[in-house]
Amino acid sequence: MQNSLSLPSYSTALDEPQSFIERWSTSFVFVLMSIPVLGAFFFIGQSLRLDESQSLWQVSRSLSGILTLVAGDVHVPLYHVLLHYWRMAFGESVTIARLFSLFFFVLSVPALYLLGSRAYNKRTGLLVAFLFAISPFMNWYASEIRMYTLFVFLTIMSQYFFIRIMQEERPRLATWASYTLIAILGVFTHYFFFLSLIAQAVYFFLRHRIFPKYTLRLFIGSGIVVALAIAPWVWYVLFRGVVGFQEPSLVAPSFVDLFSTFSQFLFGFQSDALNTIFLSLWPIAVILGLVALRRSVRFLPQTEYFIVSILLSFGLTFFGSHLFAPIFVSRYLIFTIPAFYLIVASLFSTYTKGFRRVIQGALVTLMLVTFGIQVTSPNTPVKEEYRGATEYLSMHATAQDAIIVSAPFTIYPVQYYYRGPSPIKTLPEWDQYAYGPIPTFNHAALPDMVAKTTADYQNVYLVLSYNQGYEADIKQYFDSHYERLNARTFSNDLSVYVYRLRYNTVLSAIPTAVTRTN
Amino acid sequence: MNPHYHENLGDSKKDFLRTDAPKSFFLLNAGLAVLYFAVLAFFFPIGNPTLFYLLIAGEVFHMWQVFTFLYTVWDTGFQRPVYVNYTPGVDVFITVAGEPTDLVRATVLAAKVMDYPDFTIHILNDGYVAGKENWREIQALASELGVNCITRTVPGGAKAGNINNALKLTSNHLVACLDADHVPHTSFLAKTVPYFGDANVGFVQTPQFYKNYAENYLTSGAWDQQELFFGPICKGKNRLNSVTMCGTNMVIRRSALLEVGGMCTQSIAEDFITGLLIHARGYLSVYVPEVLAEGLATEDLLSYSKQQFRWARGALDVIFRWNPLFMRGLSLAQKIQYLSSASFYLSGLFIVLDAALPLLFFYTGLVPVHISGMLLAAVFLPYFFWTIYVIQRVSNFTFTFSSLGFSMGSFNIHLRALASAATFRKTAFSITLKERVRGNFLPLVKWHILYISLVVVGIPFAIFREGLSAALLNNTAWAFLNAIVFVPFIRAALPSDSERNPPEVVPAAPVRTKTYAKFS
Repeated sequence: MQNSLSLPSYSTALDEPQSFIERWSTSFVFVLMSIPVLGAFFFIGQSLRLDESQSLWQVSRSLSGILTLVAGDVHVPLYHVLLHYWRMAFGESVTIARLFSLFFFVLSVPALYLLGSRAYNKRTGLLVAFLFAISPFMNWYASEIRMYTLFVFLTIMSQYFFIRIMQEERPRLATWASYTLIAILGVFTHYFFFLSLIAQAVYFFLRHRIFPKYTLRLFIGSGIVVALAIAPWVWYVLFRGVVGFQEPSLVAPSFVDLFSTFSQFLFGFQSDALNTIFLSLWPIAVILGLVALRRSVRFLPQTEYFIVSILLSFGLTFFGSHLFAPIFVSRYLIFTIPAFYLIVASLFSTYTKGFRRVIQGALVTLMLVTFGIQVTSPNTPVKEEYRGATEYLSMHATAQDAIIVSAPFTIYPVQYYYRGPSPIKTLPEWDQYAYGPIPTFNHAALPDMVAKTTADYQNVYLVLSYNQGYEADIKQYFDSHYERLNARTFSNDLSVYVYRLRYNTVLSAIPTAVTRTN
Repeated sequence: MNPHYHENLGDSKKDFLRTDAPKSFFLLNAGLAVLYFAVLAFFFPIGNPTLFYLLIAGEVFHMWQVFTFLYTVWDTGFQRPVYVNYTPGVDVFITVAGEPTDLVRATVLAAKVMDYPDFTIHILNDGYVAGKENWREIQALASELGVNCITRTVPGGAKAGNINNALKLTSNHLVACLDADHVPHTSFLAKTVPYFGDANVGFVQTPQFYKNYAENYLTSGAWDQQELFFGPICKGKNRLNSVTMCGTNMVIRRSALLEVGGMCTQSIAEDFITGLLIHARGYLSVYVPEVLAEGLATEDLLSYSKQQFRWARGALDVIFRWNPLFMRGLSLAQKIQYLSSASFYLSGLFIVLDAALPLLFFYTGLVPVHISGMLLAAVFLPYFFWTIYVIQRVSNFTFTFSSLGFSMGSFNIHLRALASAATFRKTAFSITLKERVRGNFLPLVKWHILYISLVVVGIPFAIFREGLSAALLNNTAWAFLNAIVFVPFIRAALPSDSERNPPEVVPAAPVRTKTYAKFS
């Protein structure tokens, strides 16, 4: 039996006659789709970031080259392959590549509206689509040349079909086929998509009674198809023998990181000071939960599912990071944003009209304000001004100078932008074209490494970013052995230091306004 | 639509009685509670030692509440055997002390058509000794309706004395007690008496449903509070043979009642204590989870406050005068249950303590513990929300914010009752008014308003002292939480809400024409 979208709901809001907004909901969704496009104006022209440059470097290879590189990375290849052809079709600029991410973000807005309407009602669907469209976090990744918006889009679609399976008396074959296809695409988009599927499996295990007959068999069948589809890739990665050797080393997350992720999901990337304010106000969550306790307002199964999907994804990632290897990164958990927003929107729908308006208004205002701060503030922690740094290098570094980049993998954005005559080297020394992991840092070998890297050059431009635990050692070594001629910070955690290596050569073209800081 | 998908709510007389939740939920709740307590008690550097130990004392109390609640609702499906052919004679007592005559009429009319072969209705008219003007009207009503009227002329013992007086003048094996406003269903006796086929059953209690719960904000909040108690808690107490006697909508075995000297006249919560004494004699208690009589909730904050005070004082008497720990004849489960019920009214102490902590920080900078990072949030939020969810599940989603607000907002009443009970001060029995009292009730919430005022003044004071620190923001959020929880109680006192029209009493229409009542 086919379901209509206007499901009965628990919210008092549903008992009200259809409002103007609900009658024109489809039109409003189109309006909402334009918000990300507007948001892109703020972000699409930004400097290339490390991850983006890595993506561009990977997708500029042949198809087999892409698979080889991605297999050595911590990712799966669907996005890279699609981006490869997108660039072939539309051009190779950074903007074109970023539009690919924006495309999936824009698509995600109506998809989330569909999911919200299906799970709750049109009003909740519209609210969640609106929150999603103005989300500073989502807008940031909508202009990043990475797979995250595709990942989110597929997660939304997967959840949409999962809810359909849960709600329908006899889900059609097309529903199951769509669910399975989305699952295959999802696991080829990001490994964390498995968490989404695990959450669905766990929820089914917990509440199998509310699912239609034969769901278990069909889920098993679907799982087998997905497993068969991903098996060749798993074999390929295992055959290559190395996974993630180019990925920055991560540290195990703290509880501050855990809650900061939720704060980022709502208010984007903010300075530590602002983030501290948001986190300190955590008892507000208790208020919002308590006020939702109203007569006959019960947890719907879909709300339970969304909560399970968030708790399980965060829990496995958080505790897995402590027990096995650190994998907790807020952007990897971006796929939980739709569920998180849906819970927030459904929570709001339980409030009385007046309180709901106040809270919704407050949240939307805060999100827009923090969106603005994220755009304009130089302290936004995720901004990576490699373009500015390399412009500086292009302007000042000469053929007698060397550019040393550390951490080694940050060579990608520097290479992308730099058009000057100086050679670009890394510390520790690494050949990005050679197969295998980045060499580990050895403090004892540092003098030899530096001597080897800087031999024959007059000045060195040390570009430090993405501290992997040895940045201070390198900087201290240069500070104590060479004369520092200049230091510039271009964004949070991205600095260029200029050192004079020797005096018995022709003077280099060091900027006139040098700040000598021996 | 998947037929298993929705289970709609909407039947207010049944929703709160559908109590079920997986035991794994309770175990997880207990685990999260222990984790939270352990982290708070042992993981943070102590700030002000006095505040710290007070905080820990409060948390110990909360743990006691959580664990006794989980113990109570662990299994709410227990049922005692029913002896359907057991139909002894029943004296139906309708206690009246000045309630409106029409209201009494409705109750008597409904009682007359109860579907049971052998019962006698008695109006226990205390209007004369209580100095009420309508006591003669009640007598006339009894004559008009053909039921017995027992009018006391010698005062004493309030409602308990009224019932004890009637016990001397009646003789049936069982006694059913109904307050004047509690209109019984036709099946009231048919569904309660059969349990007495077991000679060990001392009394049978049914829910105290408020048919006017939708009348206004206060009645709604009052009923919200009742649902949790008469839903999972009473059903759990049934399993533990610890059912609370509530004074109305109940049937008692006369011999059991006489064995404990009749209804207890030494407490203003005569029912609660009498139930305790009957349990101590080894009798069984039964809770019938079905609405079999419908009464009225208090409709104004003054009446509500008086009722709360009476309940609180009576319950606290259990701790100070009839402490079950030292009472012979009670099982361990019964001791825990009575202490748990009674100690609920100690919560006023800890509500004040919790609410005072942010204020102390604002004005003095003192804190009980130095918390850094988000560890507390990481253990508190799962514990808190899971507890709320468990309460929701086990009460079939009838637990509401206003219920919580009324419980916590009554802290000043509970404190007054505590002071009164601890000093063994004598308190007069106050009949719960069935008609709305009009007036300005804001003085009843002066402490709540004072608290909010102190918060409003305290925040800028603290900002001036230490700037916009994380501790200040966190304490501000806690203070807001406390203030918002007081809002339902304050709202109930507002003139706009208290000046609505009084409730219309709808007499229960007799639906059966056949009657087995014998009238004396």
